[in-house]
Amino acid sequence: MNISHHPSDPLLADFAANTLDEANAFVVAAHLAMCPQCRQAVSQFECLGGALLDELPGSGIDPVRRAHALASIDTEPAMVPPRVASRVTPLRAQPRSSSTVDDVLALYGTGPWRWTGPGVYWRPVDLPVENGTRAFMLRAAPGTALLNHRHSGTELTLVLKGAFSHELGHFAAGDVEEADSEIAHSPVVDKESECICLVAMQGDIRLQGWLGRLMQPFVRF
Amino acid sequence: MQVVTRLEPQGLAYIPFRRSVGASLTSGPCVGARRGTGKNDDEPLKPDIDHSALVQRIVECRDKEAFAQLFDHFAPRIKAMLMRTGTAAEVAEDLAQDAMLTLWRKADFFDPSRASVAAWVFTIARNLRIDVARRERRARLHAVLENIEPEAQQQPDQIVSLAEREQKVRLAMQQLPAEQAEVVKLSFVEGKAHGDIATCLGIPLGTVKSRLRLAMGRLRQILEEVA
Repeated sequence: MNISHHPSDPLLADFAANTLDEANAFVVAAHLAMCPQCRQAVSQFECLGGALLDELPGSGIDPVRRAHALASIDTEPAMVPPRVASRVTPLRAQPRSSSTVDDVLALYGTGPWRWTGPGVYWRPVDLPVENGTRAFMLRAAPGTALLNHRHSGTELTLVLKGAFSHELGHFAAGDVEEADSEIAHSPVVDKESECICLVAMQGDIRLQGWLGRLMQPFVRF
Repeated sequence: MQVVTRLEPQGLAYIPFRRSVGASLTSGPCVGARRGTGKNDDEPLKPDIDHSALVQRIVECRDKEAFAQLFDHFAPRIKAMLMRTGTAAEVAEDLAQDAMLTLWRKADFFDPSRASVAAWVFTIARNLRIDVARRERRARLHAVLENIEPEAQQQPDQIVSLAEREQKVRLAMQQLPAEQAEVVKLSFVEGKAHGDIATCLGIPLGTVKSRLRLAMGRLRQILEEVA
């Protein structure tokens, strides 16, 4: 997969620090499943988290509870990972069962596809709204031109299938677009195939132009 | 500002691991000089190699003494981190114990070629930082990603270079301007989202984002420098 638009460093850092709302965490995770380069970045940020943890002055553990904790491991069985070849050498051969983006997507249920405009369908992803941010999938027919719009909050879009273009570039499978309320864009789906995106959107969509303002009352994402 | 005030260690009798990193950090960019030399037996062990060896002892023979050492190093820190998130001391202590129990149970899952022990413990602890209702789903999200096969075949000296990576990260943190380091700590240690950081420091959201962007950019630049 040839990914040319990646999540920004702060977004990946937030994922590593676990401070993202669930919708954004979901979209970032789906991108990570497709992008070794960003997985590497996240592991660097986790390393940073580890170093910061390591440098914290500890807060004392009650000795009685410490003793209790150490005693309790007697009854704690070890979990053995599936299909790990050797437990002896520190460097294991790596025949892990490998996850894909579909495994990430399968973590949440989705509603049915619903018509939302000519050639455009959406379906909600069943996850809790945090910080006003929801997740949904968007499916648009080949060649569809979406109305010029901006957002009242942030929008994170991951292309799962197909591609679209707008003022800021061409986005194909695996690519991520981060937009905020400053950005207005009018995406056009490539002619070759339909485009399916996973979106985390804060707030709502503001359509631009006279046609957009006319249609605004009908937009229900 | 109260958020960056260090919490009282509450009279703990904790003896930290001997850390050889400190010296090499102050002596400047010497990290890269050792690259490619593989194991350096004459060199003092880096702390994370010690930790890694302790985890390995748990894997190999369920070594309780090794666990006790890891417990004494990390449990007080996890507790401190969770308390900074606003968790009550008692609860933080319980969660720290849970985290360490997870380490004991999942020692076999730890892969020293992919992460340092500190980074691994951080990933366990960060998942405890969000409320119980969301914790399990979020943990699943991270678990799926852990299950992705690494791209390239891991090199035998990857462990050494991971220790180097941790040193470089510490170095990068030390070199960051204070206001960037502060934002990074609020995010990673206290688990604050950008909006909360902005409120807490009384600065615009855009400033939080730009400080994080600069800090993370610097960090990655240092990590990707070919030494």
